[in-house]
Amino acid sequence: MSEQSITRQNPGSAPPARSSRFKINWDYLGLAPFFLFAICFLLLPSASIFVRSFTGTDGSFTFDNITAIFQGRDFINAYKTSLSVSVITAVGGGIFGFLLAYAVILGGLPRWARSFMLTFSGVASNFAGVPLAFAFIATMGNAGLVTQMIESIFNVDLRAAGFSIYTIWGLSIVYMYFQFPLMVLIMAPALDGLRKEWKEACENLGGTEIHYWRYIALPILMPTLLGTMILLFGNAFGAYATAYAFSGSFINLVSIVIGAQIQGDVLYNPGLGNALALGMILIMSVTMIGYIAMGRRAARWQR
Amino acid sequence: MAFLDIINVSKTFGKTTAVKDFNLQISKGELVSFLGPSGCGKTTTLRMVAGFEIPTEGTVVIDGEDVTNKPPNQRPVGMVFQAYALFPNMTVADNIGFGMKIAKKPQEEIDQRVDEMLDLIHMPGFGPRYPHQLSGGQQQRVALARALALRPEVLLLDEPLSALDAKIRVSLRAEIRAIQQKLAITAIYVTHDQEEALSISDRVVVMNAGYMEQVGPPFEIYNFPKTEFVAQFVGTLNGAKVEVIDPAARIVKMDGQNIQIAQNLDDTHSGDIINIAIRPERITLATEGMKTNVLDVKIDTITFLGSIVRIQVVLGEYSFFLDTFNNPYLELPKIGDIVKITFTDEAVLLPSGGKRN
Ligand SMILES: Nc1ncnc2c1ncn2[C@@H]1O[C@H](COP(=O)(O)OP(=O)(O)O)[C@@H](O)[C@H]1O
Ligand SMILES: [Mg+2]
Repeated sequence: MSEQSITRQNPGSAPPARSSRFKINWDYLGLAPFFLFAICFLLLPSASIFVRSFTGTDGSFTFDNITAIFQGRDFINAYKTSLSVSVITAVGGGIFGFLLAYAVILGGLPRWARSFMLTFSGVASNFAGVPLAFAFIATMGNAGLVTQMIESIFNVDLRAAGFSIYTIWGLSIVYMYFQFPLMVLIMAPALDGLRKEWKEACENLGGTEIHYWRYIALPILMPTLLGTMILLFGNAFGAYATAYAFSGSFINLVSIVIGAQIQGDVLYNPGLGNALALGMILIMSVTMIGYIAMGRRAARWQR
Repeated sequence: MAFLDIINVSKTFGKTTAVKDFNLQISKGELVSFLGPSGCGKTTTLRMVAGFEIPTEGTVVIDGEDVTNKPPNQRPVGMVFQAYALFPNMTVADNIGFGMKIAKKPQEEIDQRVDEMLDLIHMPGFGPRYPHQLSGGQQQRVALARALALRPEVLLLDEPLSALDAKIRVSLRAEIRAIQQKLAITAIYVTHDQEEALSISDRVVVMNAGYMEQVGPPFEIYNFPKTEFVAQFVGTLNGAKVEVIDPAARIVKMDGQNIQIAQNLDDTHSGDIINIAIRPERITLATEGMKTNVLDVKIDTITFLGSIVRIQVVLGEYSFFLDTFNNPYLELPKIGDIVKITFTDEAVLLPSGGKRN
């Protein structure tokens, strides 16, 4: 109805198209730094990885690097492990981070405690990886404080009993130390943006707390939730330093395997390393596309 | 019998008393507005009726049922908030139908009610839009429709127009009043805008610092303010301190000129200083031959306000406004002129009841 009559273009009033074809649109000049950045740090490296994935040691075109990934179980398992850790910590960090952010923002915490939590999260999300990996090993590792204590006090040999922190779950816990605060950091302002009136309007219309979360708060937060989870996923998927500090090469993650292929003296095969990296880029791209599709659906009320 | 009964209600937050001894009986179909400056307890009172606050003391009764301690979602009350209260993730239709969806009504019935409500607010066809695609005024109309969709017994509006611009405010308040009368729904309308309160209400409650100052129809509130606060807050008022000359003859003196007043001065003695007040529209420029309450004043400013012209005059230490209706052939005095003004004896109000202060 009226909206159409307003938005419909009147063809008669369109400006003459004559000169516009030859004009440079200077408005895009402001975006130049962005494109420059994207080309230098995103497109060129990706292209280089792509090219070198299909380049043999003699410099000729080959599929060998790609097929090498699928020979033997090691590389496929590395992908599986990386994906598992990423999914576990993205979902786990997402859920617990969300709950903590909820407690911080909506739990009636005093102001100082709240700003302390947020500052702490900011530091921890960037800084927690390597130091915490060492701290974790020092307490729960084979020669760790707690492991030893349990052994001497209860006379239980945890290692013999099959306990080890050098598993997917152990690594996931270490990752949680930076995933969790990152989620808090991003969800806190989103939760802050929930208006008191929405909750009260819901109650006024007969709704309960559950109705409020199901029909209003969660749908409103969903784009942010999804976006942050994908960020956590990528964060874990690409992590290298923390995993390396934690387990050396006990746990075969794709990032660690790539490191070995690119820098190692024994396993040196940069072509294979590039092919593995290409696989990571592909997985990240598929995840991003999935996210964009879901995000658009979740955020359709914003447009 | 009253339909909505607010009995002896008080509310304190820690040490602040937001509302004190509030008593009001509202009949079915009546629109009562709460008028007062910011922080005087209007919202708190409204929220106690809605159930968002529990009174520290007192009782709220709706249609014979004590709802004082009932949670908001069990009260037959619809509320319109100040602004931005539509659910942004739902279309207009879903917003309006939300209450019925929660109540698990069949979709057919919901759709039908939504259409009916959209017609009521003159926005048919807006169902599929999202709130951010609407203007502020349209959003508030949808909020009204949403509050009415469950057919509540009481409608509460908390400054629903204060975020809108002046023109929309005036047209929308008339629309709200029309809808309220059409549905004959009992309503409380909170505002700090005296013109809004006077124009929309059956009765006005003027509030100040948590207390009710005066309750009455707009005409009464405006013309017979019972307290100084009401006189000051509602409409423009010229105030002055005068000396009582003769309580029996009801004569006071201002800046050396005698004034005859109609109200009782029995509580005062000659020589007392009391407050008087006169509405601008009760003062006129005097013509030849007038005798009572004719004062010499100097013209200070003249302001053209469209339908009226507001003239500011100076009398000793006081400055008075007087309003005249505009007409194209009006002959206005010039600034600095000494003119005579006049007013009838009953135009003089004694806001503090004639008592000295
Ligand atoms: N939840 C609350 N906690 C503490 N003080 C409050 C709360 N709500 C209102 N008040 C206080 O109560 C008084 C009345 O507030 P309110 O009813 O919102 O006034 P109004 O709506 O007339 O502007 C104010 O002094 C306000 O600061
Ligand atoms: Mg208020």
